[in-house]
Parts: sequence; structure tokens; C-alpha cells
Amino acid sequence: MSVLGVTAIVVFGVASVVTGWLVFRTDSMVRAAYWLMASFVGVGAMLVTLDSQFLGLILILMMAGEMTIMAIFMVMYMMNPAGLNPMVMVHQHRTAIAAGVGSFLLLATVALVADFPADPAPAGADPTAELGFELLGRSMLVFESAGVALLAVMIGAVAVAGKWGRFGDADAGSVEPPLDPEEAAS
Amino acid sequence: MNPVVSVLFVGGVLGIGAYVVAVLDRAFGPVSRGPRDWFVWPIRRAAFLAVQRRTETERPDAEAWILAPALLAALAAAGLTAVPVTPSLAVADVSAGVVLFGAAMIIVMVAVFLQGWSPNSLFPLIGAYRFAAMALSFGIPFSLVVLTTAIPAESLSVGAIVASQEGLWNVVRQPLGLPVYLVTGAAVAFWGPFRIPEGTDLAGGAVLEASGSARAVWRIARAGVLVTLSVMGAAIFLGGHLGPVLPGWAWTALKTLVLLAVFVWSGHAFARMRVERFVWFGWVVLLPVALVDVFASGILAL
Repeated sequence: MSVLGVTAIVVFGVASVVTGWLVFRTDSMVRAAYWLMASFVGVGAMLVTLDSQFLGLILILMMAGEMTIMAIFMVMYMMNPAGLNPMVMVHQHRTAIAAGVGSFLLLATVALVADFPADPAPAGADPTAELGFELLGRSMLVFESAGVALLAVMIGAVAVAGKWGRFGDADAGSVEPPLDPEEAAS
Repeated sequence: MNPVVSVLFVGGVLGIGAYVVAVLDRAFGPVSRGPRDWFVWPIRRAAFLAVQRRTETERPDAEAWILAPALLAALAAAGLTAVPVTPSLAVADVSAGVVLFGAAMIIVMVAVFLQGWSPNSLFPLIGAYRFAAMALSFGIPFSLVVLTTAIPAESLSVGAIVASQEGLWNVVRQPLGLPVYLVTGAAVAFWGPFRIPEGTDLAGGAVLEASGSARAVWRIARAGVLVTLSVMGAAIFLGGHLGPVLPGWAWTALKTLVLLAVFVWSGHAFARMRVERFVWFGWVVLLPVALVDVFASGILAL
């Protein structure tokens, strides 16, 4: 791998770790979610640098939607509905520190002890095509089961979210919750 | 391509494209005062925004607020890099080009959400939530129709997709693709009937508190997203640089201009949709149509 490639991997890796650390240093739900997205974008960029363009870009593509959904759900479950007021993002400090140090030591041990294979891919190999053959070859049963299950979920979600129902349109007769607390109480 | 030339090229295409969008918008718009006004109005508007005083809100997320327009512009630029303008000229015709484009266009959701969320103001926040609901509804059909164009090419590279349309364009081969792409593309740029997060019912929504240069950059970046969508649409559905007589870049420019005109015209031809109705439309109409497009293309490819 070229000097440029190694430099890019190091830069993206450090950026991933720093943005991952910032997830826990920020005081805002939305910022935490998007720092996490930035961290995943760094990982995706590393994959792209490692000639695995499809996987890296798909990772980035999926994370944008997921992190926005996560931010919205986190804000929804919070006391302040806009999510802009500062709040402490960490809790259970002792347990968290123990879990963090423990998992770091475990992964570091694996990284040092494990015997990683060193067989570089042949030049001119197309990783996307290889991935396709793997998904529809040896691993077909696993991935097709998951794929069909996800398709069924999609169709089910559409059916559930559809406006129609046995009793008419889903939003027929519904009233938006009032914004005035006194009106809501009455 | 040389990095410096690439940056100038992408910046130039987006800048000129954004100006063309503004001119077309004036020309199709209700207050059109002749060709001279079409070309002068965007410059006048930009000059006004350049000297306009910046709005301040109470305890905004200042960094995110500054970053949001820059992120939107960067996404437009990133999507543009994958498209070959002539048979040999592309900034980076990477092997997963359409996925790069799809990823850039989905992250528009993050830019709009940050733009609406960071000023700490009610109407922009509602606009941001509206766009999140919209984006989750158009995201899958949009990605599906874009990725389906890779099936006849047997490659995710935009260059290969254009080359595979020699003889028969994808707009004919995949008749459902371009209509879904145009609808979801207008929604990606929250343009025209899908100006939902910035609707006048929210007094400007996500962009309500943005003023001065921040608003100008946001407007230019949004027009840039529309340009990127048009360039990519021309490449993957209308055969890109393929065409007789004229040189390749001229065909790309011509087809891009046609798609841009359709996008901009839709803003003045259709009323804005309500977000509930759009979510319903996205999941119940666009998604099944996009799935039919995928299955039909798959069967044809077999």
C-alpha cells in the first residue's frame, strides 16, 4: 500500500477514535448522535481506502439515516422536547469505566495475540463482485433468509402505515394534541 | 484528474449550475419581467444577502449552524465527482460510483436536520423533523431506482452505466425509473411540491432563522444538490455523454439542462404537499413502484 494510503488510513482512524470519544464528551443528544455518525464515516472511509469501496460507502449511507432516527428517538424520550438544553450524557460512571477499560484490554489482547492471515488480495480483484458471489454463493441461505425477512418487514410496515383500515382512514377522526397545557388537562 | 483542476471543475459546475437554477426559477416564476430580469435577479438577490444583517437566536448550536450549509454544499460536490462528463473526463469514476452518489444524497437529511435544529427556534425545528419524516419515506425508493440502473451495466460505476446505454437508454429500458427518480430527486433537494421543511406555512421552516451569507450559501448549496441530481439523472437514465454529432460534454450539459428545467418548473406547476400525505405517498406508492422497477429490470437482465 502506498504512503498516501497508509496516511489516509491513519488520519481516518484517528478521526474515528476522536469523534467516537466526543460522543461522550458532548452535552447534547443530537450532537452525540452525529459525532457517532462522524465516527462511522471515518470507519467507512478506512474501508474505502482498503479497496472495499462498496462496503465502506454502504456503511456511510446506512449510518446517515440510522443516526437521524436515533437522534429523534433520543430527543423524543427526553424531558426537554427540543433537545437543545445541555444535559449530562453519561451515567453509572464506575460501571462504565470498568466496562470501557475491560473491553479495551480484551480487544488489545486479541489484536496482539491473534494470528491474522496475511494473504493480500490478488491485484485486479473486484471486491464488489467477490462480495456478490459470496452473498449468493456459500452464504446464500443466511443472507437470503435475512433478505426475505427484511422484505416481509418492509411490506408489513407499508401495510401497517397505510392510511386505510377496516374503520376507514387511519387518521380519520384523530385530533392533534393541544399545545396549551390547560386545554390538555381539561 | 489533477486535484486542483478537480476542485475548480466541481466548484465551477456547481456555481454555474446554481446560477442557472436561479435564472430558470425566475423565468418560470410568477414575477417574471423579461429575459434581462431573469439573469440580473439572482445577482441582485445574492448581493442583498451578502450585505444583510445576520439574525441571532438564543443559545443556538453555533458550530452546527455554520456547518449545515457547508455540509450541504460538500454533499452536492461529492455526488458530482462520480459522474463522467465526457467518455474520458470524470473527477473520480470510482467502481461504486452510484453508491457514493446515494450516500451523499441520503446525508442531505443530516444537513437539513442540523440546519433546522441548531438555531434553537420552533419553526426551523418543525421543519427539521418534517424533513426527517420525508427522507425516511423517499430514501428507499430513491436508492432503489438509482441502484437499478446498475443491473443492465453489471457495474456500480457511473461510467459503465453510461456505456451500457449505448443503443438503448435506461429511460426506455426502465420506464419506471426516471419518473420515480424525478419525484424523489425533487424531494431530496426539498424543491417544488416537496418544499415541505421550508414551507411558507412554517414562515420558511428550517431556513427561517438563517440570514445573510449563511442563507445565501444554503440556497446555493440546495441549488447545487439539484444540479448534482440532474447531472446524475442525465448520466444514469438519459445516456449521459452519448449522442450523435455534438461532443460528449455538450450532450451532458444539454440533458442536465432539460432535467434541471423539469425540476425547477415543478416548483411552479404543483402545489406543496402536506408532509403526512407525502409519507403515505412515499411508502404506499413510490416504494412498490420502485420495487417493481427492480424486479422488472432483474427479469430483463436474466
